[in-house]
Amino acid sequence: MSDSILECRSLVKYFPGCLALNSVNLSVPKGRIVGLLGPNGSGKSTLIKLANGLLTPSSGQILINGMEPGIETKKIVSYLPERTYLNDWMSVRTMIDFFGDFYQNFNKSKAYDMLQRLHINPVDRLKTMSKGTKEKVQLILVMSREAELYILDEPIGGVDPATRDYILDTIISNYSENATVLLSTHLITDVEKILDEVIFINMGNIVLTSTVDEIREKEGKSVDALFREVFKC
Amino acid sequence: MAWDLKSDRPIYAQLVEQIQLMVVSGIYAAGSKLPSVRDMAAEAAVNPNTMQRALSQLEGDGLLYSQRTSGRYVTEDVQKIMQIKNNLAADLIQDFLEKMNRLGFDREQTIDLLNHVTKEEG
Amino acid sequence: MLGKLLKYELKATARIFFPLYGLIFLLAALNRLFWQINAEGLMIPRVIMMTVYIMLVVSVFIITLVVTIQRFYKNLLGDEGYLSFTLPVKTHSHIDAKMIITFLWSALSILVSIISIFILVADDQSLTQFSLMCGDIATVYHKLGLSAHLIALELIVVVILMFVSSILEIYAAIVVGNLAGRHKLLAGVGAYLGFGIIEQIIASLLIQGFGHQIMLYYDSFQLVQGAAAVVQPFEMTLLVLIVFSLFLCAAFYFFTHWMLNRKLNLE
Repeated sequence: MSDSILECRSLVKYFPGCLALNSVNLSVPKGRIVGLLGPNGSGKSTLIKLANGLLTPSSGQILINGMEPGIETKKIVSYLPERTYLNDWMSVRTMIDFFGDFYQNFNKSKAYDMLQRLHINPVDRLKTMSKGTKEKVQLILVMSREAELYILDEPIGGVDPATRDYILDTIISNYSENATVLLSTHLITDVEKILDEVIFINMGNIVLTSTVDEIREKEGKSVDALFREVFKC
Repeated sequence: MAWDLKSDRPIYAQLVEQIQLMVVSGIYAAGSKLPSVRDMAAEAAVNPNTMQRALSQLEGDGLLYSQRTSGRYVTEDVQKIMQIKNNLAADLIQDFLEKMNRLGFDREQTIDLLNHVTKEEG
Repeated sequence: MLGKLLKYELKATARIFFPLYGLIFLLAALNRLFWQINAEGLMIPRVIMMTVYIMLVVSVFIITLVVTIQRFYKNLLGDEGYLSFTLPVKTHSHIDAKMIITFLWSALSILVSIISIFILVADDQSLTQFSLMCGDIATVYHKLGLSAHLIALELIVVVILMFVSSILEIYAAIVVGNLAGRHKLLAGVGAYLGFGIIEQIIASLLIQGFGHQIMLYYDSFQLVQGAAAVVQPFEMTLLVLIVFSLFLCAAFYFFTHWMLNRKLNLE
């Protein structure tokens, strides 16, 4: 067993007319909360989709817990995409049953607890819910899995500050012990307190990997300030 | 007490200071049990690993101790807490004197001023 | 895992079809009622009811087609694809589940339409005629003996395979259409027509290549007397059709599977 939960070896992904990832080498250790930070179009989403098997590499390798993305990795990765992917016709309860049916590590009672705290009625249909509520339901579903790797794509993009606090609180108090959280965002100030490490990515290249406290110690500035410096337009 | 974390210094160092403050000011009394790492991390809205690191350092300093099964406690050694309290106070005073010095007050003037201000307030 | 996929696929589609089937039965019964009441001035309501019923039956088949396309596109290539493709399920199970459920509803739609016609028109006279027709078929069936079983079996297999291949053809066209950045629907329709043309070309190439042998084969039966002269070439023709549609099924299936695995690019 390797120590890294996610590993990229000379990972390349190109789309027609666009090099999305340029020979990325990366190792994300177990048991950390890691921020994947970069401007729009930097390759964050491509990397995340590759990790979830939603894209296939053009060359190189991406390994989850030493395995190429497939059924075995999907069992241990809990993924929150940027889109709301819930099946509109289902009620929250059906959605929970759905997750319980397909993911062995899904904890139903945890999901119901979290729903209750938000006063979301499990009988409600997803079709009738606001976008914000749907996103919360989705986060609850994802965090109710006892996964080894949580991959959260822009979990706090476009929500109000109170919801943002709720989301971050949900993430740090619910990810299972020894699990890794990989979280992509461009809103760094809001998340840097909860991160162990950061990965800066730009134009398909990894620019920097470091721990948050290392950056603060060495540079004497916040990750956010450093980010603004590195990605100055 | 609310956790107040600045953005330009290492988080764990700030956590260490604030927990020290909580202990010497009696929010966590001598010999009392601390909440779990996860709960403390959630309360401060920081990463549990960072909180763990801060708590470990405080354990190393002797302010906290952990019992394998039942959790983490504040030391029962009141002397130790007082010592840290005094250290913190000394640091604050040192800091204050330095700043006053930069304003152009020497030590005597500073103490005079301090007496004056406290009388007015009193 | 296929079982679970089937379960949710069925749930997702049943809520559309069951009410529709119920409506068809209801309208068939109402129509019948209107025709039985022999009152003046019922002509216009009768015509309206009949039109609605026919439109419903037609729409069931259109809806079956739309649901086939929509379930595949939305659930696998739309936003829901983010969930579908991160389930610990093999890609082919997704195709299998969608294919089986579509097949099920299509068969059921046909069955429902037939039953509704019976509800509409069945009386002593028509039922007698129907049973006479069944009797005739049974007589022919017995005359032919063993070959009748074979032909019946082959017919069923051909119908099923042709049906499945047309479902898979739609899936393949959707996957190709999805590659287009804009105008996905147009590209999908284009791909579907393209597949049709390719099938035609293959079929005509085969006929051209083996035309002579085929002629010889059928000619050889002109000398034979009796039922065997018809039955044997018919069996053979069906067999060729089976092989051809099996080939189409496999081609569309593996193409769709390959595209979903390798060329998937959700927005």
